[in-house]
Amino acid sequence: MLEEKVGPSEMIVHLGPQHPMLPGPFRLNARLRGETVVDSEVEMGFIHKGIEKILENKTYLQGITIVDRICYLAALSNEEAYVGCVEKLAGIEVPERSQYIRVIVEELSRLQSHLLGMGEYASFVGFVSMFMYTIKEREDVLSLLDSITGARITHSFLRFGGVKDDLPAGFKDDVKRVFPNVRKAIDSYEDMYRTDAIYKARTVGVGVLTADIAKDLGVSGPPLRATGVPFDIRKDEPYLVYEDLDFKVCTEKAGDVYARIQVRLDEMRESMYIIEQCLDQIPEGPLFPENTPYGKRSPVMRIPAGEVYHRVEDPRGEMGFYMVSDGSDKPYRVKVRGPVYPTLQALPPLLKGVKVADIVAIAGSMDTCTSEVDR
Amino acid sequence: MDANSIIDSLYSQFPDDIYDTDVESDIRVVAKVKSENITNVCRYLKENLSFGHLSCEFGIDYPDRGEIQVLYVIGSYEHPVVLTLKADLPRDDPQIESVVPVYWNANWYERETYELFGVKFIDHPDLKPLVLPEEMLGEWPLRKDYKGFPNKTAKNLV
Repeated sequence: MLEEKVGPSEMIVHLGPQHPMLPGPFRLNARLRGETVVDSEVEMGFIHKGIEKILENKTYLQGITIVDRICYLAALSNEEAYVGCVEKLAGIEVPERSQYIRVIVEELSRLQSHLLGMGEYASFVGFVSMFMYTIKEREDVLSLLDSITGARITHSFLRFGGVKDDLPAGFKDDVKRVFPNVRKAIDSYEDMYRTDAIYKARTVGVGVLTADIAKDLGVSGPPLRATGVPFDIRKDEPYLVYEDLDFKVCTEKAGDVYARIQVRLDEMRESMYIIEQCLDQIPEGPLFPENTPYGKRSPVMRIPAGEVYHRVEDPRGEMGFYMVSDGSDKPYRVKVRGPVYPTLQALPPLLKGVKVADIVAIAGSMDTCTSEVDR
Repeated sequence: MDANSIIDSLYSQFPDDIYDTDVESDIRVVAKVKSENITNVCRYLKENLSFGHLSCEFGIDYPDRGEIQVLYVIGSYEHPVVLTLKADLPRDDPQIESVVPVYWNANWYERETYELFGVKFIDHPDLKPLVLPEEMLGEWPLRKDYKGFPNKTAKNLV
């Protein structure tokens, strides 16, 4: 325990469970000598919901609404991982039109997640007005998502073998209206980040992760890509139609806080590029496979027995579901492997030896989501 | 590195410890492993077959077989194969060696498996509950026979 190790002229500072920096309640206990962090530990479990147990007691279709709530910023990639598991177990082929719609909504979700994460981060390092800029663009992106799925945050949009609804009429025009503004805004954020001396002083060379250490700690997503490792499930293990789409994996070399934000900026541009390609390439056709028992309205369905691990690229990294089916209408066991779990775990080694003022700058740059760690 | 050569390499190195292997597809391999040697198998996987990315580690309860299974889903940064290692433990006294010396991020996964299933990880650096309160230790909520935590709120005690 941290308390037992406190030496002379040392003290323990608790951050949280309620703190403006934290995306949800968790506690960071830091042992300080002067202003330097000697040691720290993370305490979790303040919002443990038992989602894995709940899923065992719900039918497969009911589970979709539950996995939405694992992380409110990445509801659609959680659904994709869950629905993908069931589709693999039952051998359901998703029609191409539905696959394209899924890519569109998931990339929109990545866009809004990064916009919020980046804006929030700027406010952690004392750049509060930035949050107001990004939240404005995020609202436009959320309206686009809302027009497809009918909800802003928890969508419950994917179904086994397809999606709930088709794209609304005029969606392409909406995208053409919104995206130029978002692009312009992202350019201006980048400009601000590049030129602001205070921001750079707080981020460049701070919280550096090297590629080897990042791999050892098991982090994925933007924090890993910022160290130069091109690890992206969309490329390494393509799901949906990502194989047919042209996009690049955004990486940076430095591995510091600045690089993590830069990766997110670049990824937002790639997401918009992907969505525009999808809208150009999307074929006409049915949303659900024909002649299968699995459709939009199939409340009770039995899935063949088996085990499967399906993973997708969440805005924050590798999101995987391990599902065990025993042939009944409810899953026997579901394991949710969230991307933030190893990222948050990696905070104590990352914070060793930094100054107190940098704790928030480093912890915030990992873009964590407590709700997903606790589940 | 493809799925079949991984299985062959594992078999030749640990002929007595690996059994029931299955190549599900080009990128999914399943193998059962004897629980005594899990750390050595993991170390070999990491150092020789570039399985450097522990995706997750968790338990599954099988009360009718009297077993708790601990699963290790291990991926790689170099090749796309994902390997699932399964270790069967007796349900009345589940114990297995910790893999934290090999995979640093197994720490929290093992703490969670401990508090939810009661699997004891030998030589784990700090085996204590992660997401549950201390007083729930011994309830093992993710086991199939868990009936709900006794409600000890004031209303129910009166």
